[in-house]
Amino acid sequence: MRSVSVIGIGETRMGKYPGTLKDMIREAGEKAIRDAGIDKSLLEAIYFGNFNASYWSGQSHMGPLVAETLGLDNLPTIRVEGACATGSLAFRQGLTAVASGLYDVVLVGGAERMTHESTPRITEGLASAADVDLESSVGATFPSLFALAANRYFHEYGNCRDAMAMAAVQNHANAYLNPDAQMHKLITVDIVKNGVPVAYPLTVFDCSLVSDGSAFVVLAASEIADRISGGRIVDVIGSGHAGSSLQISTKNITSFIATTNAAREAYRMAGIKPSDIDLAEVHDCFTITQIINTEDLGFFEKGTGALAVAEGKTARDGLVAINPSGGLKAKGHPIGATGLSQIFEVVTQLRGDAGERQVKNARIGMNHNLGGSAATCVINIFKRRD
Amino acid sequence: MYKDGAIFSFTVIYTPTEKFAPLAPYIIAIVDDGTSHYLVRIEEFDKTNLVRIGQAVVFSHLDADEKPVYKLA
Repeated sequence: MRSVSVIGIGETRMGKYPGTLKDMIREAGEKAIRDAGIDKSLLEAIYFGNFNASYWSGQSHMGPLVAETLGLDNLPTIRVEGACATGSLAFRQGLTAVASGLYDVVLVGGAERMTHESTPRITEGLASAADVDLESSVGATFPSLFALAANRYFHEYGNCRDAMAMAAVQNHANAYLNPDAQMHKLITVDIVKNGVPVAYPLTVFDCSLVSDGSAFVVLAASEIADRISGGRIVDVIGSGHAGSSLQISTKNITSFIATTNAAREAYRMAGIKPSDIDLAEVHDCFTITQIINTEDLGFFEKGTGALAVAEGKTARDGLVAINPSGGLKAKGHPIGATGLSQIFEVVTQLRGDAGERQVKNARIGMNHNLGGSAATCVINIFKRRD
Repeated sequence: MYKDGAIFSFTVIYTPTEKFAPLAPYIIAIVDDGTSHYLVRIEEFDKTNLVRIGQAVVFSHLDADEKPVYKLA
């Protein structure tokens, strides 16, 4: 397998988008191609992530829609779906296609339009990412799956309600400095704990946002990246993809095996250890999920992820900067685009372009994207060129 | 098929899908019956005194969709 590089990135602002699904795709896709500084004719295929436009917008067969919208009509396309890990899963397909030598240059994107829908329709669409027959139809909602994890985590490791709230506070503070973030509002631990209850102990402030958004990247074989692009190249040095059961009730819910397995693969490929990571965009669909994930990724010992937040170890100037973008919690969570929005942030940080929220001396960054009931995980590791 | 067991974890759902709106707030739990874990709804609980992990539960009935409903032992 040969080395692959990110040569271009583009995204919309997250939140309520003033336009159609096609408008979002056009904006983010064209930004990424322009950022790469390449002629469109070099693109050979499109890998596109979308979770549920079939339900929320009545639109399927999104691949050709993307190609046509971007004036790339005759390219081969595929729509990829892996619940909340959709975006990174699309990235992984593009990555392996270029690494294998099948293509030299591909476009990877994702988009989701959600804010036009009612809360029950959004809840229902998200619940379809769980086991509908055995869990959603019993009454489980998406937040409730991770509320089950939170209560079990409290039972095994002690109540960390305040530190969970601090994770949300920190992500909001980071998003405050991110012009593409949906939330530009600082919050407090009390605001989080006293928010509208969603699924005990989670309140609305423990939950990621309902967002419109789109993000794209251009991938090229590293050996030609310099020659064809504008030279703002970030290399992909590791990638991991793992799965586990769709049912939440049959598995360990205080450590997610899909994350630990994908992390092992990614670290091994990159030849690095967790302490080498300078910043990580970590899947924070819910505050408890971020805490569990940072343990599973090897940043902190099991049972100490909450303490790490409370001690400032996850802050932008901490041991490892977690979610400098604001995360799903405050930058936004347009499901099919989220993984690519994470990658947009990691590449921006490694290029040194993150402005006020720049992590100092950012050399190696990671994105971690977890799908549905922690049933699909994709992790990618990126390194700036010295 | 559904056996008595103990609560492995639980939550109280305040924001349900449309179908479950009339029940809210309601409790779902992962039941550990000694051999397997599965998701059930818990009914007939005291809203002022939440269930807790480890508490014994017994099978009550199947709902209209044939999904399991349990109650506290």
